[in-house]
Amino acid sequence: MSTARQLKLNLFVYPGGHHEAAWRHPDSAIDRVLDIEYYQDLARHAEAEKLDAVFFADGPSLADNIRYASRFRLEPFTWLSGIAAATSRIGLIGTASTTYLEPYNAARMFASLDHLSKGRAGWNIVTTGAPDAAYNFGLDGHPVHADRYDRAREFVDVVTKLWDSWEDEALVADEDSGLFADPGRIHRIDHVGRHFRVRGPLNTPRSPQGRPVYVQAGSSEDGRSFAARYAEAIFTAHQTIENAQEFYSDIKRRAAGIGRDPSQLLVLPGISPFIGSTEAEALALKEEFDELTQPAYSLDLLRRLLGVDLSGYDLDGPFPRELVALEGDRADSSRSQLVLDIVDREHPTIRQLLHRFAGARGHWVVAGTPEQVADEITDWFTTGAADGFNVMPPWLTGGFDAFAEHVLPLLRARGLFRSEYSGSTLREHYGLTRPPSGFADDTSIERNLA
Amino acid sequence: MTVIDRRKLHLNAFLMSTGHHEASWRLPESNVHANTDVRHFQRLAQIAERGKLDSIFFADSPVLFSDVGRRPAGSLEPTVLLTAIAAATERIGLIATASTTYNDPFNLARRFASVDHVSGGRAGWNVVTTAGPDAARNFGLEDQPAHRDRYERAAEFLEVAYKLWDSWDDDAAPADKASGVWGDNDKVRPIDHAGRHFTVRGPLNLPRSPQGRPLIVQAGSSEDGKDLAARYAEAVFTAQQTVEDAQEFYRDLKNRTVAVGRDPDTLKILPGIVPVIGATESEALRLERELDELIRPEYARAQLARTLRVRPEDLPLDQRLPADLPDEDEIEGAKSRYTLIVTLARREQLTVRELIGRLGGGRGHRTFTGTPEQVADALEGWFDAGAADGFNIMPAVLPSGLEAFVDHVVPILVQRGLFRSDYAGSTLREHYGLPRPVNRYGSATPEAVSA
Repeated sequence: MSTARQLKLNLFVYPGGHHEAAWRHPDSAIDRVLDIEYYQDLARHAEAEKLDAVFFADGPSLADNIRYASRFRLEPFTWLSGIAAATSRIGLIGTASTTYLEPYNAARMFASLDHLSKGRAGWNIVTTGAPDAAYNFGLDGHPVHADRYDRAREFVDVVTKLWDSWEDEALVADEDSGLFADPGRIHRIDHVGRHFRVRGPLNTPRSPQGRPVYVQAGSSEDGRSFAARYAEAIFTAHQTIENAQEFYSDIKRRAAGIGRDPSQLLVLPGISPFIGSTEAEALALKEEFDELTQPAYSLDLLRRLLGVDLSGYDLDGPFPRELVALEGDRADSSRSQLVLDIVDREHPTIRQLLHRFAGARGHWVVAGTPEQVADEITDWFTTGAADGFNVMPPWLTGGFDAFAEHVLPLLRARGLFRSEYSGSTLREHYGLTRPPSGFADDTSIERNLA
Repeated sequence: MTVIDRRKLHLNAFLMSTGHHEASWRLPESNVHANTDVRHFQRLAQIAERGKLDSIFFADSPVLFSDVGRRPAGSLEPTVLLTAIAAATERIGLIATASTTYNDPFNLARRFASVDHVSGGRAGWNVVTTAGPDAARNFGLEDQPAHRDRYERAAEFLEVAYKLWDSWDDDAAPADKASGVWGDNDKVRPIDHAGRHFTVRGPLNLPRSPQGRPLIVQAGSSEDGKDLAARYAEAVFTAQQTVEDAQEFYRDLKNRTVAVGRDPDTLKILPGIVPVIGATESEALRLERELDELIRPEYARAQLARTLRVRPEDLPLDQRLPADLPDEDEIEGAKSRYTLIVTLARREQLTVRELIGRLGGGRGHRTFTGTPEQVADALEGWFDAGAADGFNIMPAVLPSGLEAFVDHVVPILVQRGLFRSDYAGSTLREHYGLPRPVNRYGSATPEAVSA
């Protein structure tokens, strides 16, 4: 059994799959996307393959055009607890917004998920990039990037204090004396800050992991400094190994710079694999999906990212680079920059760019044989570009079935991925330490127990 | 012999860690970590489903009650708990409490719609306004908003939630692979709500749920609470100590429902009862006494003092309540429970110690102690007297008290034609005999309405 560094692999679930036209493909399970058993089956399969976690993206708004794609979202806390009940080992990572939740409610729901999954919860911390969301919460406009991150930092601090507000030893449960908990080990947090005033304590005892795993997914400048300070795993989008290496070394350096152990921060880029028995077969499969895309939808997505409306342009003409000048929030958006980088590097036609983006919204799409895909993964993993990956099947369930059946055995044969779980919590799968309560060292508190 | 066509009871199991009796956790049978153990609650739900009960229910408040020394404190967030229970059950309704004061309508409407999808149409929401300054201080406020303001916000919150739940037509997403049309933009619309408390554009980011909207439950019995219930609630949980009080409440609430133009039969009134069941009456009484002796009176007195807005030392254990307590009108917190406790103590001339014993079982809900036949008789008596459409069953000890009720009382009720022997439908609305709401915006399609 190899003791070498191991890949961390999540299954990143989009209802029908990550390719924007996945729902139209004959093999996609579009009729099951509101059925919890579909997601329970996917999670069970991922668990049988010993993946680290399943992950769901989220945002509290509906994009304004549902004609061409299934764009709804089940609410992640209720969804994940339904999956927790059907699984026993795999991690469960949900996305929750620091802009549109209250920290007390968020802390409690993640602590609850961690309890009922016996230590498998992770929180993908987002500030919510979609401007539409603001209008669902009484705001006149989208809060600016820097303000959202300022609130996010305070939000995470409050949530952390709430998770720590019950020390691990707080539960006494002495049936004879009738003492249930030791009030001296349950603490008000008395937080007073710029955005929040929260007294605490949390009304949920400290959860199995102490704190659910902190995940972050933005790669902007604000996002990077936030991640370096708080994140234990980073989900990121890179098109080339060079960009991924640059990001990897930058974020690990930032973490070390503020005194953190860089091994306690995992970099997990997205990968969306099309797998065929030959490279030509894999490329043909990708082409099959790209042909199902609908330009009106893809152009709308591009308009949101770049601020230019290209409807009416010749799709097979060159992309009009001169029209794009990123401003405001888009200038801060790592995803918008990623699109421009593709344009500058590859000079695609508009249609080529749309197809490029249709695969996984800017994540890395590979098409090849199982060996080729395993080679790419190995390459990124061993050259300082990744600690593992968010696996983003182009369609479900077949896109994941192919990865599990053909690529995972190769990675296992190379000693790069586990054959069995060695732990039971998400922290254990990821090799992260369990944090003590920040209140545990507080000796100034009078103990109620002699 | 079965009596056909008798009006049927609705029975809900109100679940709480090791049971409703505050000392239940100290019994040898009790799992002291039940409050965070999902399997405990899954088992309880399965027991209730075995008895074909309408639903299970969790109370909730976003605050840690401060007497953690005395009884199990800290709980799982109930909507999260419900979907984990949904995965372990098939038919029973799933009701969770959530606060309109400390949530945003978009988030909460979405969460309950998700529970409804995940459970296949079994979700219910007990709408509360959350009394008390302690919860307020977890959400940036110094004190709770005034009672009237909380209820006004609750009414607007419900209006927003109803609009969001209707923001998708039932047939909005044909998902036609061949034509590439997933959804119909004309059948999903913004709600553009602009009110005193909320401005919400919508639409919801989730298709309309199996029940159209989750079942709406309400549990406050103050004047404001009854008005809210008359307008919105489809089931009401209430604490009533005597059949006369319960009849009065029942008549009052049904009349208010009629006054706002609703069919009174679309609102089911379920008083809470704590059944303490023994094979013989003396065995039941022995169990009740055993529990009461495990109460730690100094903690119970502190809690009573908080409810009554007095100092604990103003409540000597062996004397009656002080004569100069405030009027209900002066209370900004849980108004109706305050009145119930004071009335109970005065009517029965209870000492503080006796009052604590009475409240320890069900915090003001009525306790029925006896054999299965005696408990069934009591339920039938209230039901036939026009005091209830059913009951909120609050076992003193869990799981044993729920098992005793399901295995020994329910069969008697079934035999008397008072309760179903099997589920007739699959959604919570069907169990309660309530129609699936028509979409306020949409063109109702017959198959969707009858689904």
